[in-house]
Amino acid sequence: MSARPEDDPLDRHALVVAVWLAGGFVAATLLSIGLEHGSFTVTLSAFGAALAAFIGHVIVNEVFRTGFTPRELGLGLVGAVVGLVAIGLGGLVSPEFRATGFLPASLGLIGLAAAVVVYMLIRHGVRGAFDAFDVIRDFRR
Amino acid sequence: MMSLLIVLFGVTAAYAVYIAALCSRRRQAPVFEAEGLPAWTFIFGSAGLVLAGLGLDAHLALAARYGLQASHLAVGLVLVALAGVLVVKRVVLAARLTGIASPGALLGGYYGSVTLRIAVMVLAALYALPFSAAALAGIGDLVSAATAGALPRAGVIAVVAVFLFLPSVLGGWRAIVYVAAGQSLIVLVLLAFLAVAVSSDQGVPLFGAAVPTVDGILADRIPGVFQPSAGIGKATAIGGLWTTTGILSAAIALAGIVLSPAYLLLAIGTRARTAVAFSQTWVTGGIAAGLLVVATPILAAALATADGAGPAAAMAGLADRLAAYEPLLGVGLILLVVGVVQIGIALFAGAAARIFAHEAVALYVLPRLSPDGERLATRIALAAIFALLAAMAVFAPLPSAILASLALPLSIQLLPALLGLCFLPWLSRSAVLAGLVVGCLMVFFTEPPGLILFDGLFVELPWGRWPLTIHSAAWGLAFNLAATLLAAIFTRGGAEQDHRDRLHDAFRAAYPADLGSGAARSAKWSLVLLWAFLALGPGAILGNTFFSEPIFAGGPAQVGLPSLWVWQVLFWFVGVFLIWWLAYHGRMAVIEPGPARRVSYEAGPPSAFQRRAPLWIERTLARVARR
Repeated sequence: MSARPEDDPLDRHALVVAVWLAGGFVAATLLSIGLEHGSFTVTLSAFGAALAAFIGHVIVNEVFRTGFTPRELGLGLVGAVVGLVAIGLGGLVSPEFRATGFLPASLGLIGLAAAVVVYMLIRHGVRGAFDAFDVIRDFRR
Repeated sequence: MMSLLIVLFGVTAAYAVYIAALCSRRRQAPVFEAEGLPAWTFIFGSAGLVLAGLGLDAHLALAARYGLQASHLAVGLVLVALAGVLVVKRVVLAARLTGIASPGALLGGYYGSVTLRIAVMVLAALYALPFSAAALAGIGDLVSAATAGALPRAGVIAVVAVFLFLPSVLGGWRAIVYVAAGQSLIVLVLLAFLAVAVSSDQGVPLFGAAVPTVDGILADRIPGVFQPSAGIGKATAIGGLWTTTGILSAAIALAGIVLSPAYLLLAIGTRARTAVAFSQTWVTGGIAAGLLVVATPILAAALATADGAGPAAAMAGLADRLAAYEPLLGVGLILLVVGVVQIGIALFAGAAARIFAHEAVALYVLPRLSPDGERLATRIALAAIFALLAAMAVFAPLPSAILASLALPLSIQLLPALLGLCFLPWLSRSAVLAGLVVGCLMVFFTEPPGLILFDGLFVELPWGRWPLTIHSAAWGLAFNLAATLLAAIFTRGGAEQDHRDRLHDAFRAAYPADLGSGAARSAKWSLVLLWAFLALGPGAILGNTFFSEPIFAGGPAQVGLPSLWVWQVLFWFVGVFLIWWLAYHGRMAVIEPGPARRVSYEAGPPSAFQRRAPLWIERTLARVARR
């Protein structure tokens, strides 16, 4: 890709951060509107914006012929766990959230997880995708 | 809203400084190199620069005042993309063949003209100082109004300038381009999102919104092909300023951004072969133009009903209204306007500093300057430019705005020079310079700086700004082309043409252009002219009633949308197809891999045609001297 191969990660990183900044802002705004006004569609659209940013990230990876870096995987997992905990706590603590926000947020998070699984299946195949999580085999070695 | 605005501005500033810090860690890389940039930086950065040249806040304010006739200029982005398709590929190839990576040095070397080199430097300074200062002053006004004065105007200007300067000086041109391109992507996403959000929140129709204008201005029609008006400041155009010739000439002025030093420097530094075609077809002509065609009426309609006297106060009023529904929406609108301005300032200032250090300091002032010394000179130039533009924005916003009006129309005056470099070896240095001088004079005397100066020093001129509702850029370009062609007739051939032919021979040998057979070649030019005539030129007047009162229907048709808006969408769509056809199918913007450094041009005027007196003066003097 680059005239200086050491520039490739920087080229890609700058673009990936821009993609997530744009998608993140839209997702945060939609989530805020959706939860504030109790709108099912708008809350779900927030996860749609996050999904669009994820697809943008995958496209960038394909253009630069690379995959997710370990740091990005770590950040993604932390984000997913935080999202899961926030939805769980919200459902337990806030009756208002339980009534209007819990279902679309859960569906959105499940949709994001499904998108990640589909991406892994397409990129690595069924066996490769399973191997990535096969921790027991790692212990056997 | 204020705290949220500060936090989100901090996030974008942190992004810029973070990317610049990563750039500064690159080993043994020249900090101010302008080559080898990835394709995406040009793809998004060029679109962002076009929006900065248009001035998104000014465009929205004009559309809020004049309605669809002013927002018709969005279709002009297709003309901008066509200008890019025409010149950018050949400029990039010329840079590759000569090994000259700076637009001023390229033109100067090709024509053997120091004057052209200086002209490009002056243009770079015009964009970096008054143009950027006027835009920065607008940011100060907007943020100050949006926070009800809690953030003072001068403080906002200083903070924005510092956070634009920091990444520039840390990471150099590469960091500037990364950040500007990243911001361009964010701006495009924000524009689309805010259009939908404003439409939903403010109850404005998503397609073909009606802009409430004051009495006497046609909100959904173009007020004629042209009007015999003496110009702004002398007479009022009936029904509005944006006649078809006004729109076409303003679009020609906007195309000047493609010929600006920053745009050309950005293009020369891009390495991917399809980046130019992709950016012109899909991003500038496609997404950016399409978004503006759809989003401008929506945002303008909401802006027209916002509280506040003056464009900045009205924009702040709209942001307040959006923030009442959702604070992030109000902040998003301000970030959109600020983001577009930041893209322009960063690229204009970075390009000017680089051109000044490379072409003035390293070539003339300190010829034996090392690369480290040139880097230091660029950093000093950057510091001086940012300090000056911040001072101008704080203390002299009006003079900055007056001088800024010259930047785009003067830029387009470089068109004959660039056409000569790209396609027409018979355009001589004298012809191009004669045209440039005449064109610049015409621009100067149809824009505020010339009018104010002449009125103040001598007598009041009988015309105002943009006489006959024709933009100064078109006045200048018409006289420029006439003078260039006239002078070219008398200055063909000779050593100068041999010098220029070297580049065109190299073009033919290494990168032969295949514009097709005679019929295909004619079709390319005639379809572009036909499109320009109907989309922006006199033919656009048909759009006023073409869909609402079709001539064969015998009565009005219930379209539910303004006829002019449908016309704009139609010709945007046709325009994108036209760009695609020329850029990809005609290969006019696909850069093939090929040899480099085949032609060598000197930094100064070549010895083959050193300055000499015209022959007739020499002979006359000789006769007199002999006696």
